[in-house]
Amino acid sequence: MPREASLPTNGASIDIRSLEKQFGTVRAVDDVSLTVQAGEFVALLGPSGSGKSTVLMSIAGFERPTAGQIVIDGQDCTRLPPHKRNIGMVFQHYTLFPHLNVADNVAFPLKMRGVPKGERRRQAEAALETVRLAGYGDRMPKQLSGGQQQRVALARAIVYRPRVLLMDEPLSALDKNLREEMQIEIKRLHSELGLTVVFVTHDQGEALTMADRIAILKAGKLQQVSPARELYERPSNLFAASFIGEMNMLPVDWDGNRARLVEGEEIILPRNASIAPVKSGRAVLAVRPERLTYGRAGTDGTWAATVRDVVYAGAGTLIIANLADGTEVRLRVPSAGQHPVSPGDRIGLTCPPEALLLYPEAEA
Amino acid sequence: MNARSLLLNAYVYAVLVFILLPILIILPMSFSESNYLAFPPEGFTLRWFQSYFGDARWMAATWFSVRIAVLTAITTAVIGTMATYALVRGAGNMGTLFQALLIGPIVVPHIALAVALYLFFQSTGLSGTTLGYVLAHSLIAMPFTVFTVAAALSSVDPALEDAAMSCGASRFTAFRLITLPMILPNVFAGGLFAFIISFDEPVIAFFLAGIRDKTLPRMMFDDIEQNLTPVIPAIAVLLTLLSIAVLIGAGLLKRMADRRAAGVQES
Repeated sequence: MPREASLPTNGASIDIRSLEKQFGTVRAVDDVSLTVQAGEFVALLGPSGSGKSTVLMSIAGFERPTAGQIVIDGQDCTRLPPHKRNIGMVFQHYTLFPHLNVADNVAFPLKMRGVPKGERRRQAEAALETVRLAGYGDRMPKQLSGGQQQRVALARAIVYRPRVLLMDEPLSALDKNLREEMQIEIKRLHSELGLTVVFVTHDQGEALTMADRIAILKAGKLQQVSPARELYERPSNLFAASFIGEMNMLPVDWDGNRARLVEGEEIILPRNASIAPVKSGRAVLAVRPERLTYGRAGTDGTWAATVRDVVYAGAGTLIIANLADGTEVRLRVPSAGQHPVSPGDRIGLTCPPEALLLYPEAEA
Repeated sequence: MNARSLLLNAYVYAVLVFILLPILIILPMSFSESNYLAFPPEGFTLRWFQSYFGDARWMAATWFSVRIAVLTAITTAVIGTMATYALVRGAGNMGTLFQALLIGPIVVPHIALAVALYLFFQSTGLSGTTLGYVLAHSLIAMPFTVFTVAAALSSVDPALEDAAMSCGASRFTAFRLITLPMILPNVFAGGLFAFIISFDEPVIAFFLAGIRDKTLPRMMFDDIEQNLTPVIPAIAVLLTLLSIAVLIGAGLLKRMADRRAAGVQES
């Protein structure tokens, strides 16, 4: 959830108003409006080419928007050059200055702000301590591992206590273990320093675990901005539904009250199954694989299906089945305590009504 | 060592021998006791070196050449670095045209360039002036400086300047404190090349020379026409030594540049 405004925070609010960026004939960012609360951690998530980096670069000042405004802490920064925005930034590749040692790298923003040398040294060492690299100041960047270099970049971005920290896929160059470690590190820094963080990633797991709210972009357009749980449980459209996690998409006929599976059962949906009103006719019923359970075929209120594959994976089992019309359905069930099934078995699927979501057909 | 680097080494040494070969002829000739250029040389004397250093006209020409070469080196280093920056980092669609324009002076025969500059400088009063020489020499030296600097600049990550700007540096400060130190050895090397190109440039000097100020190569041509004494090989030996010194200097700078690029701290 967004932090309450009353919580103590050192962060600045960011107000993105109708942002638009045109590259030639391509509209990389198309009417994006997003308000980031002071001290909030927002992830911009989307496939490559979705415009997420362009939005970030517009906040940083490296891209000049074709239209719209960037307002940071009430100040219109749209035309302000990057070095006057007082923003900390971590780039995808470490971008440490190779001819300067670690301490001078971290102290660089302080030097730009005219901080005296002794004070620079002290604050740089403190920032290195914050990222657990105390005592590394005399080394050259090339002598550090990738993870350590990215920590130095992080220290450099926070050393002058900016109120906004921007991160452009900062962990994508790191291996998996290091990435998880850095995720925790960044979360810790966020809560310790209380700054506003905007974090670009194409890794949904990263977005879900780290961010207070996640903004999903596709083809330059904002799809949904929600906390992780809402995004996962109530994605606002088919794109968001399919982009985050696994989702079964079942074609249905919708008459305004009931949905009928093709060649199959009629399903009564709760009122809130559709996020936006869905017109009668063809529609899509979405349900997460882990919300489905199965029982004996032919039981009342179940959907008839035939098991095609069973993939045992320790704690969980993936069951791939076909509905009457051949539509594929995936189930993720706990391996223990289940009546075992094998390919060819007929089963009946059930699902709690609140897990059912209805979307207009392929509108995205 | 693989076949490719073996071949490369052989090639480099072949070029070196080819370049150094003339010394084998001019070196003994510069010590010859005879009063005119002759091969094989006779005896041994340092008098041609003495007459070079002792002659005010030779010295004036030398200092004139040094002055032009230094100014050319500075001009090409500064303008060449700026041009390279635009070429490597910006330029966009203009890049190809821009590059062609820069390579132009290599492709166009110097004699054609010299005639064109002669006509232009005559009408603008630049002929025979220091400024005229510096402009002309910068023109022909520019491509070499640009290539030397571009080699270094293209290996510097443009995101480094973005990073510096996000730290609060203006674009110029970012260039000055981050990019420039990383390419500085190549900028110096480019300037050295320009110095040498200017210092022993004969063709344009031939056309642009005024009555008063003559460059060293121009003076040498005059002397060959009128006297043909062994002072010519003596000067040639000195020029060759200078070129070798510059080559070694450029080599050292390149090693420094590589070390900087590798991020090794200098002692």
